[in-house]
Amino acid sequence: MVSAEPFFDFTSVWSSMGILLKGFGLAMFCATAAIIIAIILGLIVALMRLSSVKAIKTFAFIYTQLFRGIPLYVLVIWVYFGLAIAVGINMPAIMAGVVTLGLLNSGYLAETFRSGITAIDRGQVEAGMALGLSKREVTRTIVLPQAFRIIIPPLGNQYVDAIKDTAILSIVGVPELMRETQQLADLHYRPFEFYTFAGFLYLLAVLTVSRGIAILEKKLSAHSAQTPVNTAS
Amino acid sequence: MKTNSYKIDWNVIDKYMPELLKGLSITLEISAVGMALALIFGLMMAVGRLSTNKFVSRISNAAVQLCRSIPLFVLLFWVYYGLSLKFNILLTEFQAGALALGITGGAYMAEVFRGGLLAVSVGQTEAGLAIGLNKGQVFRGVVLPQALRVVIPPTVNVYVGLLKGATIVSVIGVSDMIYVAQYVSLDTFTPFELYTVAGLIFVCLTLSISGFAYLLERRLGRSRAHG
Amino acid sequence: MNDNTSTTSTGSTFFLQLKDVSKSFGTHKVLDGITLDVAEGEVVAIIGPSGSGKSTLLRCINFIAAPDTGAVIFEGHTWKTFHSKINFLANKRYQKKLTTLRSDIGMVFQNFNVFPHMTAAQNVMLGLTKVRKMSKAEARKAAESALSQVGLSDKFDQYPEKLSGGQKQRVAIARALALKPKVMLFDEATSSLDPELVSGILEEIRRLAGTGMTMVIVTHEMNFAFQVAHRIVFMDQGKIVEIGTPEQIRNPIEARTKAFLSAILN
Repeated sequence: MVSAEPFFDFTSVWSSMGILLKGFGLAMFCATAAIIIAIILGLIVALMRLSSVKAIKTFAFIYTQLFRGIPLYVLVIWVYFGLAIAVGINMPAIMAGVVTLGLLNSGYLAETFRSGITAIDRGQVEAGMALGLSKREVTRTIVLPQAFRIIIPPLGNQYVDAIKDTAILSIVGVPELMRETQQLADLHYRPFEFYTFAGFLYLLAVLTVSRGIAILEKKLSAHSAQTPVNTAS
Repeated sequence: MKTNSYKIDWNVIDKYMPELLKGLSITLEISAVGMALALIFGLMMAVGRLSTNKFVSRISNAAVQLCRSIPLFVLLFWVYYGLSLKFNILLTEFQAGALALGITGGAYMAEVFRGGLLAVSVGQTEAGLAIGLNKGQVFRGVVLPQALRVVIPPTVNVYVGLLKGATIVSVIGVSDMIYVAQYVSLDTFTPFELYTVAGLIFVCLTLSISGFAYLLERRLGRSRAHG
Repeated sequence: MNDNTSTTSTGSTFFLQLKDVSKSFGTHKVLDGITLDVAEGEVVAIIGPSGSGKSTLLRCINFIAAPDTGAVIFEGHTWKTFHSKINFLANKRYQKKLTTLRSDIGMVFQNFNVFPHMTAAQNVMLGLTKVRKMSKAEARKAAESALSQVGLSDKFDQYPEKLSGGQKQRVAIARALALKPKVMLFDEATSSLDPELVSGILEEIRRLAGTGMTMVIVTHEMNFAFQVAHRIVFMDQGKIVEIGTPEQIRNPIEARTKAFLSAILN
């Protein structure tokens, strides 16, 4: 190393701020889009697992087990390169990344949703039925609002994991924070500074989301006797 | 991309299975070393968090939060390229990978250990002290055995997480199963087959370990209920 | 309170009738051919050892638990379990029709089952807006009056978390009564309450009996049952063992009834 240079030199990091923040924005976009897909798919799969039809139940079970077992890194390569080569499904990298991340998270969320729904006391459903509410009204006004509260903390954790996982999408060329950081670190030959700064941005995102979830949880649990006050620190 | 010309050929799997399995053994190795580090880091941070010394518990808390928040992928590059260049700490790819896995896993293990220690009621400690054991004896003889039961199932789950995480170490050049799949397909141009098989092997592995954890949890839960 | 020993206090036709109702959970037969008539304005108390099927019987009246076989006849309308394996729409229609039966039958549960995510007033308003199709303002007024009647005029906007067990049960009673049901079912309404709160809730039920409400009460409070009910039903192992006026049941014919009562009263 050239001795005239300062040991820590973040000037190249500051000058690349625009690119880095853009990459950061894209990472957040990917995580958010993936979580939205995962919520929708997860809810469907969770309801399928609670179905009384055996075939539907089994399918949903295999779905959750499969996507909880596959590493993201393997699946995203498989989706992006594998599918393109073997069956000609050619997706843009961002789309492949978001879809993969969404699928994997949906496996976890399906389990979260299922346990949230089954945690609602049977008596709550009976009370709703006894009032003359229809099945759908019971689900909408009694079961889901209560399940929602139970689900918030694990859902928040899942979102945090998704944000961290976006770094892996760099592997298929999604120009998110990690990809940009890698290229800039090579270009400026300052890996320590660049990776440290990237780590700082991820930390910031994770802390912000965790804080938001904790506040939301507190707000919701203020009314509910059934929600344990148990925030992940 | 000429998609039509690609013919799926599973024969390549037969041919390269020994290489894939050798890669798998490296994956298992690096995840095992990572896990060992995670146990050490995790225990240190957990004990630190429960310390009555405010300074120690704050630092440990911050360390857990930090390690949990930074993606493994970023840690890997930070350790391998960042640390080694900046401080001249020359780590092999394998060492860097294991260290990154250990840091990430350590944060999760800290939570697991803390939960385990807190799960043992104060009354147990009091009962131990009451029969004349000293603090160390109470910890080793009373608290630890009970805490271990609570801790084992989630520990297996952390390991599954590390095993899945370990698939990315090929990006810094560790010759694990994914790495094998990559370089073999450069030769044979059969990435679809190789990644499919690698993925399936991983699914089987993680699911069987998770299944084992589930059974263990039920067994330990039952024996605890009887105890 | 009860000096009326006739089995049918008002009306000549049976108001609510159970005909040969049976239900099993798996291989366990919980209800085994139950037939019971309840006249309008009558108070029927069901007693019996735990696991005798009392609670399931109540749930079969409003089809919260659908009977496997048998029928419930209410105000001249016969209700039977309907389930088509192929006609999905018919099932839906039938479920929808059941809601009209349920809205005419109020139910109060052992574990209160107030909705924890709603205030006391919102608990009461839910049925009024969704089932009775009232406007929010109307429902609010009706809810306030229902809550005031059970002595909760200062708790309209409290969440259940802040209420005692007795107050929660009052909310549940108000929630059921606000819909102006024709029958009330009480499923061990005081069993989850702290001892000092029991009498207050029993007092509410007694007051309701005084208004001529038709009621079916499952209870472990024997003295209360004998005071309030016009007729008492003793159940054991899914069957009705003996039915009679409190006087008749006090001197039972059946050995099982005798054994149960002597065990309870000593």
